[in-house]
Amino acid sequence: MISPTFITTLSAGLLYIVLTIAVYQVYARLQKSLKKAWLNPMLLSILTLIPLLLFFNVPFEQYYQATYPLNKLLEPAVVALGFPLYQHLQTIRKQWRHILILLLMGVFIAISISFIMTLWIINQYDIAVSLSLKSVTTPIGIALTEQLNGNNSITAFAIILAGLFGALLGPPWLSLINVTSAKAQGLAIGAASHALGTATISKVSYEHAAYSSLALIISAVVTAIFSPLIINTLAHFLQ
Amino acid sequence: MIGHIIYSILSVGICLLTGKAIEIFLPILPASLYGMMMFTALLHYRLLNAKRIQPCIEWALANMAVCFVPAGVGIINHFELIKNHGFALVAIIFLTTFLLLTFVGLSYQRQLNKQASVDDEGLSK
Repeated sequence: MISPTFITTLSAGLLYIVLTIAVYQVYARLQKSLKKAWLNPMLLSILTLIPLLLFFNVPFEQYYQATYPLNKLLEPAVVALGFPLYQHLQTIRKQWRHILILLLMGVFIAISISFIMTLWIINQYDIAVSLSLKSVTTPIGIALTEQLNGNNSITAFAIILAGLFGALLGPPWLSLINVTSAKAQGLAIGAASHALGTATISKVSYEHAAYSSLALIISAVVTAIFSPLIINTLAHFLQ
Repeated sequence: MIGHIIYSILSVGICLLTGKAIEIFLPILPASLYGMMMFTALLHYRLLNAKRIQPCIEWALANMAVCFVPAGVGIINHFELIKNHGFALVAIIFLTTFLLLTFVGLSYQRQLNKQASVDDEGLSK
């Protein structure tokens, strides 16, 4: 027998999922027609849903439980990222080693400094983990946050901010410091601002797009492999 | 088209399941990441047909951000943290993002310049 409460829970769950997707779709269309990087649909959806939940007095736990199926799609999303990785294995094979070493160093520096600074200023381990993982693409950042006991919501937010900063200010900043080649600009923005930066810079040239998504994928893999090591070591010495 | 969709979902699903199996024996990386490497390898060695998978994967990659909205809404539970440390949080994210941009951009640009000057010397000789 299916109880009536089960049906109510199920339909309420569907309602929240449909609402989330609908809100997101509206902003995704808006961004598509206005072509502005700062009109990030994920950010705007979050900023729309929070007042809605507060207004209708829906506890976050209820919303989160209902939208659990969306969360479960995180894992296949990471697997799907293997496709762009495969595409770039073929195009950019020559400088593979240089790029790998450079990104390894970049990831190492960025994670260490973010973790130390956050622990020093805010003094909360979970927030420090979240901010250390902000430069990678969302599915991998969240998967690692769960593994390292960070805070999912803070990671999600930090990732959007890192993406927006790099997407909006990255190209003018890089030109200012004489980083003018499409390859170097693409690599830097992919490493620091993941998919958001990549989507923005991809409109400039094919070379920007290729190097940016290459950096995005390699830093994600490098971060996944080394962040537990870096963070556990730092936490051991700092706490 | 439906065939392509089923083929893509099955490919990703099998890679993910294999990833989960690997994670049991080698719990270093998240299962999904093993799955991703598996997916790349199968495509690279042409055990999966990239042409059949491409349209579905491109659609999925373009729309997957919606899956992370619920996690982001969770910030609702952290108003206290934002009130106390909001500025520090944004400042740290801003600074370290620029640091990473600058480091990777400058280093690679320098490497490219070096390569270009070596090539020039080679040409002038």
